[in-house]
Amino acid sequence: MEDFKFLFKVVLVGNAGVGKTCLVRRFTQGLFPPGQGATIGVDFMIKTVEVENEKVKLQIWDTAGQERFRSITQSYYRSAHALILVYDISCQPTFDCLPDWLREIEEYASSKVLRILVGNKIDREDREIPTVVGEDFAARHNMYFLETSAKEAENVEKLFMKIAEDLMQQARSKDLPRYDSITTNISGRTSSISDSNCCSKLT
Amino acid sequence: MFTGCCGCCSALRPRYKRLVDNIFPVNPQDGLVKSNMEKLTFYSLSSPEKLDRIGEYLFQKAARDIYRKRYGFVIIAMEAMDQLLVACHAQTLNLFVESFLKMIQKLLESTEPQLQILATQSFVRFANIEEDTPSYHRRYDFFVSKFSAMCHSNENGEARDKIRLAGIRGLQAVVRKTVSDDLVENIWESVHMDKIVPSLLYNMQESTFYMKETSNIEIAPEDQVDPPILAETCMRELVGRASFGHIRAVLKPVLRHFDLHKLWVPNQFAIHIFRIIMFSIQAQYSYTVVETLMAHLDENSKSSPTIRTSIADVLSKIIAIAAGESVGPSVLEIINSLLSHLRDSVRHGLSQTEEKQYQEALINALGEFANHLPDYQKIEIMMFIMSKIPFPLVDNNTADNLLQSILLKSLLKVGTKYQTIHLNNTFPISFLEPLLRMSLAPDSDMRLLVQKILHTLIDRHGNLEKLSKPTVNMGALKLTLEKSSRPDLIFINKHGVIIYDALYTSLQINTNTVENVEAIYTTIALLCVELASAETVIDIMQLIFGIQSLSLNSTDMSNAQKFHLQAIVAALLILIPTVVTIKPLLDYAKEIIRARKSEAPHLLPDLLEQYPSKAEMANKLPHLLIDKIAVCEYLNSSGLDSSRLLQMSPYGAGKLGVTGAGTHRHSWVEAGARGSIVELPGTQEVDSVSSSPGVQRKLPEEELTFESMKRVLTEPPEARKEAEAEKREQLSHTFRTATFSELVHRTQPKHDLLQNKLSEIFKSLSTSEMHQSPSERNKKSSIPVYEQNFPELFLY
Ligand SMILES: Nc1nc2c(ncn2[C@@H]2O[C@H](COP(=O)(O)OP(=O)(O)O)[C@@H](O)[C@H]2O)c(=O)[nH]1
Ligand SMILES: [Mg+2]
Repeated sequence: MEDFKFLFKVVLVGNAGVGKTCLVRRFTQGLFPPGQGATIGVDFMIKTVEVENEKVKLQIWDTAGQERFRSITQSYYRSAHALILVYDISCQPTFDCLPDWLREIEEYASSKVLRILVGNKIDREDREIPTVVGEDFAARHNMYFLETSAKEAENVEKLFMKIAEDLMQQARSKDLPRYDSITTNISGRTSSISDSNCCSKLT
Repeated sequence: MFTGCCGCCSALRPRYKRLVDNIFPVNPQDGLVKSNMEKLTFYSLSSPEKLDRIGEYLFQKAARDIYRKRYGFVIIAMEAMDQLLVACHAQTLNLFVESFLKMIQKLLESTEPQLQILATQSFVRFANIEEDTPSYHRRYDFFVSKFSAMCHSNENGEARDKIRLAGIRGLQAVVRKTVSDDLVENIWESVHMDKIVPSLLYNMQESTFYMKETSNIEIAPEDQVDPPILAETCMRELVGRASFGHIRAVLKPVLRHFDLHKLWVPNQFAIHIFRIIMFSIQAQYSYTVVETLMAHLDENSKSSPTIRTSIADVLSKIIAIAAGESVGPSVLEIINSLLSHLRDSVRHGLSQTEEKQYQEALINALGEFANHLPDYQKIEIMMFIMSKIPFPLVDNNTADNLLQSILLKSLLKVGTKYQTIHLNNTFPISFLEPLLRMSLAPDSDMRLLVQKILHTLIDRHGNLEKLSKPTVNMGALKLTLEKSSRPDLIFINKHGVIIYDALYTSLQINTNTVENVEAIYTTIALLCVELASAETVIDIMQLIFGIQSLSLNSTDMSNAQKFHLQAIVAALLILIPTVVTIKPLLDYAKEIIRARKSEAPHLLPDLLEQYPSKAEMANKLPHLLIDKIAVCEYLNSSGLDSSRLLQMSPYGAGKLGVTGAGTHRHSWVEAGARGSIVELPGTQEVDSVSSSPGVQRKLPEEELTFESMKRVLTEPPEARKEAEAEKREQLSHTFRTATFSELVHRTQPKHDLLQNKLSEIFKSLSTSEMHQSPSERNKKSSIPVYEQNFPELFLY
């Protein structure tokens, strides 16, 4: 059950209402939640996936988009291995805020953090941000780019799997920032990536 | 042993696994099988080396059960682990703890509120256990992150508060577990504090009880604790444990939280929190909180005045708590910082109302702070503030003018918190002298402030209210009197001349309002009351005659202003024999007042803005004036030596002298040397100009000869007026610019640590801010130590 080999921390950020919580719920619980309240502070979900026959545990931190919660949410950027920056393709202002979010990420996250730009809600008819515009922005800022729909479960699995694969790649090449975690190498088989260079203490 | 099939297969399994399996009932609702749990515990105690495997096995089982949503079994597994944790000896626990914590993490990762709460309870239990061997590699990052997230739970219904409570308890446990042990995780790292502090604040701000400050906070029974109360407890504990190096780690997220949640305006919550911080923090660090808050004010220099006012207000609410603990340098740093904020505010926002409120808030903070310092430090602070007042004093709406007023207001604020015991301690010459100089400022509001400062510092017996307005109705006053002490008399003997002289001179200023005159009256009256003695009686009588002459002879005062002078003369005349029993003088005063009442009430208080046009000038009513010869007689008959009154008057501006040119009867420079007024040289009357240092007698009319008298009488009044104005101009210039080096030599202040620090801070400021001319700089090298301590006082 608990024999995961890698533990990755993923943090979602972006304006309130772009669908961060829905993306997480879709991925971890396979559902599109009807009418839930806005996230307060931070929320937490877990999902274990398999990459190249290895178990990878994703610790997903979903943050509140509102300004007032920045004091708490920013403190979660710091230990993230991957940051998913989400905007709503049917809402220009959520796209316009991206530079502000990048500035925050720049300030609070590790420089090595994997950054993914996600344009959500592609099921909607009233698109305001063409795909190329999003792609362009991502390319300019050295980010991965993906368009999703939490509602239609489109690209959601792919998004997180891609992250897991990529982080695993990095972990194998030991190019990942180290964040200590409680899940240390007790069994020698489960190990957080943070301990990848001091593992196998006992078997 | 009866072993069935089941026994057969279990025989293949290690004993510890069998023992673990046996603690689980068939139906989870039956709960932990107690007798088997005892067996497992006994086994663990006798074979401690197996403990880590037992832990791992229990964890594996629970993980599977969580996955299958068989929560009943999960709960049982957790309970078993709890029991083992408590039962086993500390030295064997180390490895078991790892499984134990993995178990807790596993439960916390589930989306089931029940499991999260259960896990937290186990974590709290764990945190209370003392471990012998520190686990260097153990990290609490996940727990801090998860508990903080739980503090923000938005679950529906009752679960919300339960999860929040669990989150807070969890954080409390992490803190307890980690602070006591330096070797484990440093909980004070900002990565943790930035989660813990906002989570606690977020819960506290949902409380409403801080809104109703007065109501008693009842101590809620344990099971009724709500998140705000628990969060507050946790906050107090956290702050209380913070050592010097950690305080900022706690305060930074607090300030950030207030900024982002816009909790400065209104600021009840901020005040509430900062009080909690001040009362929980180890006392010796409390001034760090003040410093940090002031630094935050700096960072908000671009924010709206409303926000700054609110922050300054918070500061004023907590600063007193820090004052008791502040020593030497930190006191002045705080004062200095407050003054710089005032100065910046004056520079940047000249006159908006909101900016003014901000300044008020800062001044209040200053006053609150000073209020809680020992008195000797208050004097230092007053001198320090004084040293910050830019010169020359100006009367316009420039930044300098505003800054001068604001600093005087600050001075007044601090002054009101000071309790004078001996005047000589309150008024070291280095403080008294610039204060008197400022009492002659061109701006009448500023002059008023200075008088108010004098009032609060002179009044020791609560007579200020009673003497705030001139009155001749002495009986109603019920003054509190006490015989003046020797140190006081020495003080007034030494410095009386410059004090009376300044008071007299300020009465001459023709921009005085009613308030100004009343305030000067109050100062004289307070001196009279506080220094009641034969000497003082003569001094003040002398002053009274000076004022009477001024009222009769001044050429540039309005009639109303002259009446004001007459009114305070009457009020003072009756005050003297009330304070020092001189029966004949009292009768005389009463007689004059009775006569004025019937014939010329405008020569009595109250002071009016305007008088009826038919109000007769005092010099047309000689019988209503105070007669010097008569007064001397009454004084003599009461055993007082009045010869000084007859000999000369130090106050003569506007009054024609009787004899020839006078020498300097006294000067500010001589004042310090004077032992007794009677010893003073000269029998001539001189005017006040000559009693000021450095003013040469240039005006022809001052050569008081018969010729000059004739000239005065024949000269057109305008010419004379002009000359008088010029003279006054020169006078006030002199007051601003006189050198006091001789004075200074005689009255060098003691140099304690505080003062050195003061001058150090001050120097760093003055070099960067003052624009000195080279000559001034050269001058510096040759000036006495005292001046170097307060250079600003000497920059003209
Ligand atoms: N049409 C559509 N609506 C979505 C999608 N994802 C989220 N929403 C809606 O957007 C709103 C905000 O979603 P939420 O996940 O709470 O946003 P968050 O504030 O970023 O966490 C909700 O009303 C969701 O139903 C999507 O993919 N398509
Ligand atoms: Mg959300």
